[in-house]
Amino acid sequence: MTNPATESAPDGAREPIKQAAAPTAAGKPAATGSTPTPGVSLAPQVRRKDLTFLQRIYIPEIVKGMVLTIKQVFRPKFTRQYPEERWDPPPSFRGRPVLVEENGVERCVACGLCARVCPALAIEMQAAETPLEKERYPERFEINMLRCIFCGFCEEACPEEAIVMSDEYELVFRNTEDAIYGKDKLLMSTDRLKTRLEFLRKAR
Amino acid sequence: MDPRAITAEPQARRPDTVPGLGRSLDSQEMVINMGPQHPSTHGVLRLELVVDGEIVVDVIPHIGYLHRCFEKHCEHMTSYQQVIPYADRLDYVAAMSNELGYVVGVERLLGIKVPERVEYIRVIMAEFSRIVSHLIAIGTYGMDIGAFTPFLYCMRDREHVLDIFERTCGARLLYNYMWVGGLSHDVPPDFQESVRRFCRYFKPNVKELNDLLSYNKIFVERTANVGVLPAAVAVNYAVSGPALRGSGVHWDLRRDDPYSIYDRFEFDIPVGLGLKGTVGDCWDRYMVRVHEMEQSVRIIEQAVEQLPPGDVQSAIPKRIRPNAGELYARTETPKGELGYYIVSDGTASPFRVKVKAPSFVNLSALPAMCRGAMISDVVAILGSIDIVLGEVDR
Repeated sequence: MTNPATESAPDGAREPIKQAAAPTAAGKPAATGSTPTPGVSLAPQVRRKDLTFLQRIYIPEIVKGMVLTIKQVFRPKFTRQYPEERWDPPPSFRGRPVLVEENGVERCVACGLCARVCPALAIEMQAAETPLEKERYPERFEINMLRCIFCGFCEEACPEEAIVMSDEYELVFRNTEDAIYGKDKLLMSTDRLKTRLEFLRKAR
Repeated sequence: MDPRAITAEPQARRPDTVPGLGRSLDSQEMVINMGPQHPSTHGVLRLELVVDGEIVVDVIPHIGYLHRCFEKHCEHMTSYQQVIPYADRLDYVAAMSNELGYVVGVERLLGIKVPERVEYIRVIMAEFSRIVSHLIAIGTYGMDIGAFTPFLYCMRDREHVLDIFERTCGARLLYNYMWVGGLSHDVPPDFQESVRRFCRYFKPNVKELNDLLSYNKIFVERTANVGVLPAAVAVNYAVSGPALRGSGVHWDLRRDDPYSIYDRFEFDIPVGLGLKGTVGDCWDRYMVRVHEMEQSVRIIEQAVEQLPPGDVQSAIPKRIRPNAGELYARTETPKGELGYYIVSDGTASPFRVKVKAPSFVNLSALPAMCRGAMISDVVAILGSIDIVLGEVDR
């Protein structure tokens, strides 16, 4: 490589690399690269050993490093033993989307806004009529958890606050069919979603 | 087309003669594949190395393993808003910066002005994003060179920022936080305090990082004078970001083409000085990142003191339907100049979104830096330009 001669380092610890064509301090002849391209030297760049005596015996350097790392032992522990120590997400956390179940029925009226706003096209539903006050309900409601990107747009778009992001973050499937969550897996009672629903009401 | 044909400089040839012998040895170049499953390529990048013994004659990057059709996706969205989660996934270690670039572009296209509070929070988040990205770049760079401990320390510091992100917008990596005209949530009540706490915590850690890695003898030996990218070559390759500033070029869009409210803050633009070797070597590019983190903390400290009260969602338009037109919005992300070229045809979704990704452009300068270096230096050079394959391939 071209190394235009530079001023040496302020601390004097290092000098710029010698051009490889020049013989090194050790007297070993360095390879002379005949380079057709100006600015590209193919000869190996031989570096001068510029370690001081103290650096060469290594011990002070090792001690310096050890002091720095041993200090860490006395700092508060930062890691968590995960499967044993559980992590409680804050109410703002966007876990897997669920359908809110109130009095044994889902709030959803199958308007289809969430399916329309979903950037990943993960939501699919089939609306049907019901004698209940809301008149419409989703006969079939599926979220393909392989497609879901946890953006939270469905929750934002929902006029009934019927689909929210829960605090569940562990998602395991054994096969692709399992990853398509139907109503059986999606429904979650309001008691479990209390903190999230409160957070949403405050945030909006 | 032979990919070698598009490299700027003609190919270097191996030496014909061996010194001392005076005659040519019957040897030939060898092609080695580095990647796509190589830990030092930071993702799925394949480098075709043409080597002469231990010396690299040419490097041909092969990309596209992570191509996700981002630009085509944008054309098939139902609204401008839906692009934002996908913009997150360009440079996935600094997602906030990508969002900022996109929303700034769409807001200019719409001609709307966002509230002050939103601007300040956006700047804080984008600078946090820069710190996170640089921490990963520095940590993994040390690990490439052989220093494992700084990586753990960097990831630990990064965790504090991610906690702030998580309490604010609910996600740790892909936020979907900055929306066109506003933000998805307001910040939590203890936001200012937690930001200040982080700044207090982080500043001594930069010094510790310098002691541990930056001025470490082994690290300097591996990075100083390696992969020198002269300023003129960097400019010719349209390199941007820390890779350009490492070559000593004062160019930062936050100062030179201010967007959002960056013109209100005081900060320095660190450039490579060649303290340990030549201007534009790997160590310079590395050190620019370290200094940039300190400058980001400075910006955050100023912004968090001035954070005005207000509503973050008042300016969010009900329907985003810009008039037909086109616009190029560029922002300074941790990797360099990220540009969105957005074409609107007057409908609710973009007609075309072209992304000018900094990692992609910076990667194109890799062969120029690697020619003549040793094979083990390729790892150091690649780490020093800090590419993210999500952005290279889009």
